[in-house]
Amino acid sequence: MTRTLDVVIVGGGRVGHQTAELLVARNDTVTVVEQDSEVVDRLADAWIATVIRGDGTDPGILEQAGVEGADVIAALTGVSGVNLAACLVAERLSPGIRTVARIEREGADAYGELVDEVVFPERAGARVAANRIAGDDIQTIADVTGDIEVMEVRVAEGAPAAGRSLRDIRFPSGTLVVSDDDGNQIARPETTIDAGTQYLVAAEPDVVDEVLALLRG
Amino acid sequence: MSSHGERSPEAELGLLDATMIGMGAMIGAGIFVLTGLAAEIAGPAAILVFALNGVVTAFTGLSYAELASAVPKSGGGYAFVREVFDDLASFLMGWMLWFAYMIAGALYALGFAPNFLELLHVYDVVPAPDQVGALVVPGLGVGVPPTVVLASVVILLLVGLNAVSTAASGSVETIFTITKVAILVVFVVFGTLSPMFSSAEFQPLFPGDRTAFSLLPAMGLTFIAFEGYDLITTVTEEVENPRENIPKAIFISLAATVVVYLAVVTVAVGTLGAAGLAEAGEAGIAQAATEFMPTGLPVIQNGGALIVFGAVFSTVTALNAVVIASSRVAFSMGREGQLLPSVGQIHHRFGTPFVAVVLSAVVMLGSVVLPTASAGNMSSLFFLLSFVVVNGAVIRLRRERPDMNRPYEVPYYPFTPLAGIALNLLLTGVLVVYLLQTDLVALLLSAGWLLAGVGMYVLLNAFRGRRQAGEPDEGSPAAVPEDD
Repeated sequence: MTRTLDVVIVGGGRVGHQTAELLVARNDTVTVVEQDSEVVDRLADAWIATVIRGDGTDPGILEQAGVEGADVIAALTGVSGVNLAACLVAERLSPGIRTVARIEREGADAYGELVDEVVFPERAGARVAANRIAGDDIQTIADVTGDIEVMEVRVAEGAPAAGRSLRDIRFPSGTLVVSDDDGNQIARPETTIDAGTQYLVAAEPDVVDEVLALLRG
Repeated sequence: MSSHGERSPEAELGLLDATMIGMGAMIGAGIFVLTGLAAEIAGPAAILVFALNGVVTAFTGLSYAELASAVPKSGGGYAFVREVFDDLASFLMGWMLWFAYMIAGALYALGFAPNFLELLHVYDVVPAPDQVGALVVPGLGVGVPPTVVLASVVILLLVGLNAVSTAASGSVETIFTITKVAILVVFVVFGTLSPMFSSAEFQPLFPGDRTAFSLLPAMGLTFIAFEGYDLITTVTEEVENPRENIPKAIFISLAATVVVYLAVVTVAVGTLGAAGLAEAGEAGIAQAATEFMPTGLPVIQNGGALIVFGAVFSTVTALNAVVIASSRVAFSMGREGQLLPSVGQIHHRFGTPFVAVVLSAVVMLGSVVLPTASAGNMSSLFFLLSFVVVNGAVIRLRRERPDMNRPYEVPYYPFTPLAGIALNLLLTGVLVVYLLQTDLVALLLSAGWLLAGVGMYVLLNAFRGRRQAGEPDEGSPAAVPEDD
């Protein structure tokens, strides 16, 4: 039985919004902090996360977003300084929270010392663009997936699927267990899902949470 | 896909479907099962009882709408309260709501039984319901009332269904609800046209020693009939554009339900009379219908059979809805670590919250030995209490998170949620006093459930503490801190 994450995302623009959607599909709890009322409305329409209206560097706003009980804060606005400030304020309010900041330029190493992780979404985007331009028939996993999520999942101890063969497990349709035993073999009906082992699983977004519920408990 | 078996994901629900889920739950059994019992307590004023309950519940409906639009989580009242209150308060909320749904399940099953017997009676399969003898258990020589047997059987059937397959889709629910409403419309139309209704006597409104205060216990008893909108908010994840559609679905289903209730109760009181209705008890509506519906029709022979069928159908579909609802509450509590983890797991083959369904079934089956009125009272009591907490959640959330985005806001805040709290507490108080005088067993069982909940909470915390101290949770990303 693994608990899901409680995540505060600062900035509900493209990157923040997409990130929230992916996390929520995995059953994580997400709260988004956003200042722009148009963006707030768009988030509310999508109905993926609770939204706190306000400045993500304001301690009062971050408190309302619940950083104190959160596992991670991800500051994903387009402005590095704001992201850094949000992470530092959160760290001050809730020592030990994991901090993730989006940065504008690659190689801004200095941030790496102040936050736990840095994100540079443009690089991932550029890799996808390069692959599309090349028009290759064969692409790496991260790039092929339009909507499908291809995940490497480590099966948790005591998960409903643990210790059973694929034949005995009925996954929701839109799921495919691809690899067996840490990626050495293609999965077969008699393949056993073992706790502690990683499997490559492809799933449509609608069913990601149910697939994870089966594999992670 | 060839390597392993699969199931289909659930469909998306529109505004109509969401509204119908709410109406389906409300119109289900409340009207068929409780009208007779309400008439017994309040006389012809039963009409007022349903109208006033509609008003009381509307305040909580507004609070639900605000929470559902601002907290994008399925799971109903429990999920909202979990967002706002600490561990113990949200645990108790889940615990009460779970019980309320399970007891509602027993109530609907108990309502199903006499109506089903009435249906068989209409076709002359069995003698009149009150003349059906007890079934003797072979070997023991103990007689079990046929209603208890029927109620248990119908619970086992629906629980079995829900344990092995995911819930019927919303579109099926829509067809079910339209069928129920259509049958009730037929009832109302024929009732108002019948000669019995033209000589209807609603005076005195409070016959005998009844006073306006007789309304209150009857309101307490029938309050459960309005629990449907909690059900709408338990499926929000599957509703399209929930920010707009959930509040709308809550209001439309509530308004439509009140209108239907008033029409049906008026006709029932007008035709059978409050005394006749009271005597018929759980099968009140069905019996009123057999009195005035035309007979000698092709195929269905007796027009009353249509309404009796409606009662049977309604209790079964409502039972199905609360089996789903109760298991979902237990399932969410399990996922949140507020019940044993296995309750929050889905079954590897069926894809259903199997343990949660089975646990709920055990309590439902245990409750069918209760009198119908006790089941109604207990379920209403727990809904009232949990609705108090829901209104409180709105107030607390506004104070603690003033900058939270609220696409829908309760009008006349804070008057509206405060009125909701006051009215729900008033009915709770009246119900408790009424139970003290008339149904001590129900009250003791309710108190017992709450005590068991507190005990469970303490045990579970000890269990979690030991787990966290002992084995480090392998494979979990970043140590997950306690959430409170």
